[in-house]
Amino acid sequence: MGYTLVYTQVLEFFPYLIRGALISLQIAILAFFGGMFFGLIFATIRTFGNKLMNNLVIWYVTFFTNTPQLVQIYFLFFALPEFGILLSPFVAVLVGMTLNAAAYLCEIQRAGFLSIRQNELDAAKTLNFTLTQQVKYVILPHIMKVLFPPLSNHYIIMTLGTSMAAIFGVEELTGRAFNINSETFRSVEIFSLTALVYIVITFIATFLLALIGRYFFKAKMRIIQ
Amino acid sequence: MSQIEIKSLNAYYDKLHVLKDINLNVEKGEILSLIGPSGSGKSSLLKMLVGLLTPKSGEVTLNNNQVNYTNKTDLRKIREQIAIVFQQYNLFQNMNVLKNVCIAPTKIQKRNQKEVEDQAVSLLEKVGLKDKLKSYPDELSGGQQQRVAIARALCLNPEILLLDEVTSALDPELVQEVLDAIRILAAEGMTMLIVSHEMSFVKEVSSRVVFMDNGSIIEINEPKIIFENPKEKRTLDFVSKILKDK
Ligand SMILES: Nc1ncnc2c1ncn2[C@@H]1O[C@H](COP(=O)(O)OP(=O)(O)O)[C@@H](O)[C@H]1O
Ligand SMILES: [Mg+2]
Repeated sequence: MGYTLVYTQVLEFFPYLIRGALISLQIAILAFFGGMFFGLIFATIRTFGNKLMNNLVIWYVTFFTNTPQLVQIYFLFFALPEFGILLSPFVAVLVGMTLNAAAYLCEIQRAGFLSIRQNELDAAKTLNFTLTQQVKYVILPHIMKVLFPPLSNHYIIMTLGTSMAAIFGVEELTGRAFNINSETFRSVEIFSLTALVYIVITFIATFLLALIGRYFFKAKMRIIQ
Repeated sequence: MSQIEIKSLNAYYDKLHVLKDINLNVEKGEILSLIGPSGSGKSSLLKMLVGLLTPKSGEVTLNNNQVNYTNKTDLRKIREQIAIVFQQYNLFQNMNVLKNVCIAPTKIQKRNQKEVEDQAVSLLEKVGLKDKLKSYPDELSGGQQQRVAIARALCLNPEILLLDEVTSALDPELVQEVLDAIRILAAEGMTMLIVSHEMSFVKEVSSRVVFMDNGSIIEINEPKIIFENPKEKRTLDFVSKILKDK
């Protein structure tokens, strides 16, 4: 009690904090697209692969969606050096988040595959669409419409998840908030400001993704939540 | 020389023997109706003709050319000549009505956009959907989607039209309109294979009726004979049951 909020000192660090936010975004974007890439491969295996490969992916997905991401990254960061693999904090977090995202994004993309309507492909075939034309006119528009909202959601979740990197000493947004805190002891001010920066980042992303989703893919997305 | 000749044809879904030793000739300009209990293979026979169900044995000849259903060029050719209206309509959900009708003629047949659109609009007008050009399939009733599918097939200017239960989802007053359209097409010489449960219609328009049961053709005869004096007992059982249910 009796605590007076003083933001002046903390605001001096604002540019430093924003540069940290860019690092957070970098991790989120890289891990997201890495996760999309591996997730697509896994989803393809789940849909078309043989039993063994399919089971391996099921185990992978089960493991990564049923253990905390923090534990997964701890494992990479502290266990792998025992096997002679040294990862910098940034890389450990990036790899951990990518592997985790691959599991979730595999399931999301697989649901997209499963929602392709055989009926429409039959029609396309009898109308003499080539495979490329089937993909371009029928499969992709449908898949993008179905997948864009859940993928956007996951991207937002991942953006917030990047704050875990601070624990491993990565100086992203939260990491820099820790640094400023230990220098100024203005905890309430610095963490409220940091929260605000996260809100702005996710709000902008949500807004842009909803615009793209609605106007390019006819996805049902609300622009203002 | 028949336009379509099917000889000793067998087809399977995995292990299910769905078309059993099918022999059937269809003459040019003929309206041939397929009747039979559900699951008897009527839809499968139509799907086989457009290459969605590959025959295991037997042969199909179209305008005197034998069709190899595993050959891409052959498939392309028969699909240029035969159009199908599916039982489930199979419209593209991500395209509006006009786009559904125009996409194949413009993007696949590479016809002139304006000419195709004019034809599409006039076809859609004919089936009573002039005010739905910009609607999406999920905004339409079953009967309306059905009619879009018919317009889509006709816009391809096919020689042969396959219609799978096209009247089953229609409102009674529209049944008449669609049937009128079919009569006009018949008069213009288009060959048609029609699966229908609309017995009075089948009786009126068909040149011949094929009765199928359990994957086999049981009887092919003039409509009058099929409905009034069939040669096979199974045909009699089926028609009397259907006529009684009416
Ligand atoms: N895509 C498919 N895969 C496996 N079996 C099918 C498929 N389509 C139809 N069948 C089966 O083939 C048989 C004939 O079906 P169908 O041709 O649709 O009959 P009908 O049109 O006379 O009602 C049925 O036993 C049906 O369950
Ligand atoms: Mg059927």
